[in-house]
Amino acid sequence: MSAATLHHDGAFAAARRRLRFGPLWLAAPGLAFLAVFFLFPVLRLLGLSVQDLETSAWTGDHYARIVATDVYFRVLMSTFRIAGLTALLSLLFGYPLAYWLAQLPERQRGLAILAVMVPFWTSYLVKTFAWMVILGRTGVINQILSGTGMPTLPLLHNEFGVMAGMVHAMLPLAVLTMLPVMTTIDRRLVQAAETLGAPPANAFWLVYFQLSLPGVAAAGLLTFISSLGFFIVPALLGGPQQTMLAQLIITQIQEMLNWAFAGALATFMLVAAMVTCWVYDRLFGLSSLSGETSGRAGGGQGHLRNAGMKTLSALAKASAALGGPVGRLLGPKMMDRLLPLYSALVIVFLVAPALVVVPIAFTTSPFLDFPPPGYGLEWFRVYFNSDLWVSATVRSFAVAFATAILATLVAGLAALALARSSSRWRGAIFAFFLAPMIVPRIVIAVGLFYLFAQIGLVATDLGLIIGHTVLALPFAFVAISAVVKGHDWRLDQAAATLGANRFRTLMLVTVPLIRGGLVAAFLFAFITSFDELTVAIFVSGGVKTTLPKQMWDDMILQLNPTLAAVSVVVFAIVMALLLIAEWLRRPAR
Amino acid sequence: MRKTSGFSMDRRSLMKGAAGVALGATLPAGLLRPAVAAAATQITVADPGGPYSPAFRKSFYDPFEKATGIKVVNVAREAEPTAQFKAIVETKSYTWDVCTLTLSARDILMKQNLLEPLNFTAADAPGLMPDSLTSHWMGTDVYSTILGYRTDKFAANAPQSWADFWNVEKFPGRRSLRKNPIDTLEQALLADGVPLDQLYPLDVDRAFKALDRIKPHIAVWWTGGAQSSQLIQSGEVDMIALWNARAQAVIDGGAPVKIGWNQGLYSIEGWGIPRGNPRADAARQFIKFCADPARQAAFTEVLAYGPTNLDAYKSIPKERAQALPTYEENLKVMTIAKEDWWGANRSKMNERFNAWILG
Repeated sequence: MSAATLHHDGAFAAARRRLRFGPLWLAAPGLAFLAVFFLFPVLRLLGLSVQDLETSAWTGDHYARIVATDVYFRVLMSTFRIAGLTALLSLLFGYPLAYWLAQLPERQRGLAILAVMVPFWTSYLVKTFAWMVILGRTGVINQILSGTGMPTLPLLHNEFGVMAGMVHAMLPLAVLTMLPVMTTIDRRLVQAAETLGAPPANAFWLVYFQLSLPGVAAAGLLTFISSLGFFIVPALLGGPQQTMLAQLIITQIQEMLNWAFAGALATFMLVAAMVTCWVYDRLFGLSSLSGETSGRAGGGQGHLRNAGMKTLSALAKASAALGGPVGRLLGPKMMDRLLPLYSALVIVFLVAPALVVVPIAFTTSPFLDFPPPGYGLEWFRVYFNSDLWVSATVRSFAVAFATAILATLVAGLAALALARSSSRWRGAIFAFFLAPMIVPRIVIAVGLFYLFAQIGLVATDLGLIIGHTVLALPFAFVAISAVVKGHDWRLDQAAATLGANRFRTLMLVTVPLIRGGLVAAFLFAFITSFDELTVAIFVSGGVKTTLPKQMWDDMILQLNPTLAAVSVVVFAIVMALLLIAEWLRRPAR
Repeated sequence: MRKTSGFSMDRRSLMKGAAGVALGATLPAGLLRPAVAAAATQITVADPGGPYSPAFRKSFYDPFEKATGIKVVNVAREAEPTAQFKAIVETKSYTWDVCTLTLSARDILMKQNLLEPLNFTAADAPGLMPDSLTSHWMGTDVYSTILGYRTDKFAANAPQSWADFWNVEKFPGRRSLRKNPIDTLEQALLADGVPLDQLYPLDVDRAFKALDRIKPHIAVWWTGGAQSSQLIQSGEVDMIALWNARAQAVIDGGAPVKIGWNQGLYSIEGWGIPRGNPRADAARQFIKFCADPARQAAFTEVLAYGPTNLDAYKSIPKERAQALPTYEENLKVMTIAKEDWWGANRSKMNERFNAWILG
């Protein structure tokens, strides 16, 4: 494979020289967008961290305060531990599921993906409270345990509870990032390896797994970095040890109104995250996502590549050694069912909170009691009779839709540009597109408020769309990059040879072939906007309320089942939209 | 007023888009009207949202509209609106004209000179508690951090003080405190025997020593109001330090929970105006209107917050009055959480508390 890519790189160099403009220009809209709506407002805010509160003179005091105690460093460590564990577990649990999904017939795969996406459509606030209902001392699992005479388990307010909530939130992201890469892998390559005498374990690890690595690397990166910014899930499901740095930054911004120190803390976290990304790049070839590895791996990184191959061979040997006895023990029939069975279990885990939320939406109790003492439609009445709820729902859908289109377009162009460019700026541009994911959202939100106030975008829907697009771009960008990486550019060349101009080539060859990545990007961007709270709080000023903001406001005093009813309504709308989309797609095929 | 025209221009141009039309079809008229409107005919009030909005609407907004002809648009603000408040003043984009503020928010905003003066004195609002009026802020309601417990767990022998909360032998059960030094340090000192009227300045070392003793017995450190009510309602914990209105919501919903007012720490929430606001006169008029005892009494019918104008109790039924923090019997066993001490020490205490809780 790497030989083939090497070859096409060589062939391309000539073509590239002919295009004076260079494909990097395609990234220009994205770069300009991020420069104005991300870099400028964020730098302005972070700049406060080197100013004195009273005199605005230059000072390093705020950074000195971080170092003066070990508490911030320890919180940073626990933040990284939780994010790292979340990413690792999401990959471990997600990979076999993605593998299973990739080899299903298309129709069945579509249905299974709908199940995997169920957590997406439930607001993270609702999901988190659903986990409290499931895992609590008087929760669903412990009720079953004590009902059957078994001792109850401490499942909540510890690391286990946090991991359940975090992995549940991140698993769909991991699976849907890996899946488009896996579906583009030519399974005949595995057959070829086996025909040539490779044992099944070797064929998997050395051929299939290696080809799926860009997807794994992308999924690991997305889940890790987005987990860094989580704070509500650890706060509600964890104990004191699960304190996140994002929470401390928010306290400084909102409660202490000490933006200088908040800026220092944010910079501290940003630097740590960037160092991690750099190390990740060294280990897994982060920029490989934009199509660079083959050239590099063949060259200077030979040692690392050899080490990688050795690791994979060792994994192959280990799994062959383990697979043999287990296979004899279970019999071939059982072995075939192992993967579907496993996948079914993971899907149960993914839909579990929804299974709790739906009955609660129909409860007669004013609390999130489970099982509900009686059933009725009261909470739906509350929802539909409230202009605030209904208008927030409409706005959230409209804003998320606009965000998804904008982010997919801008990120798609940028991903194509980077994949086809050999500029030395590529790594920097790649990192720049990821940056909005690393900077704490509250820093972006406050920065944007100042900018929007100057250009009259505060409390407008357009302001919300712009803010959400900033946050959604990294997700869309990585999802498309991972697929573009596997794209065979010779097909585009072939089209060009046959007389297609660049636009026709893009629309009729490239776009259809990377469709999986575009769909994933659209989805991620939609969800990022649909479930976003922080920017909505600042940019909307409470005037243009979105659904998460309305939920957040509604649950000040107590949790009431309106939140569950809203989730059911949203779920019904999304399912209807997806089915209509599917129905519209059908006749064309 | 240049901002105003710019704002509505944006809205109009957006309305031309397909999304805008779709939104316009379903949005109520009140939401479409820009918040920043012509002076004096309308003000925008930022309240906590959720269940508060209809309560404020009924007891303050609608009567004010009727009395003055000035329309009140309400929007939901955050639990800690100081960051938004600062941004509003510094960018002069007055999306809010009046906002509810806690004592700590008031002091922080005061320190950074972000509040507009109110220009009225105690003589203008007879009956108001002395703590609830300063030059730039007027308190409208009192909330209190109290001890909530399950009556199914503690039927005859209920915990009645923070010393009881700390006494794990006599009162076995799962406990929860707030993951925040505010109130928690006071509770630790009260548990350790410091008298209610001699709390401040806090003996911090003594407080942390007392906290060391209870730490292994705290099952959950809560972080949000909704979480605290869920914890005691579901029976996840048996006793908890929480805000009285949260506990009352749970009690009103029928959960076996009771409030122990003894050694409670109360605080006040009230109105402030972003400095430089072009509609400050109408905003001041509104704030003054909220000092009215009859209006405050109406508010307590919906939410369990204590009126700051104690004359309001003349028209509050006794049964309801007993559930409110400023009811005479309740008020005399509690003390106000001293904001000036916290204002000076909060940053340091936050850091120390965070380090302590990580262990």
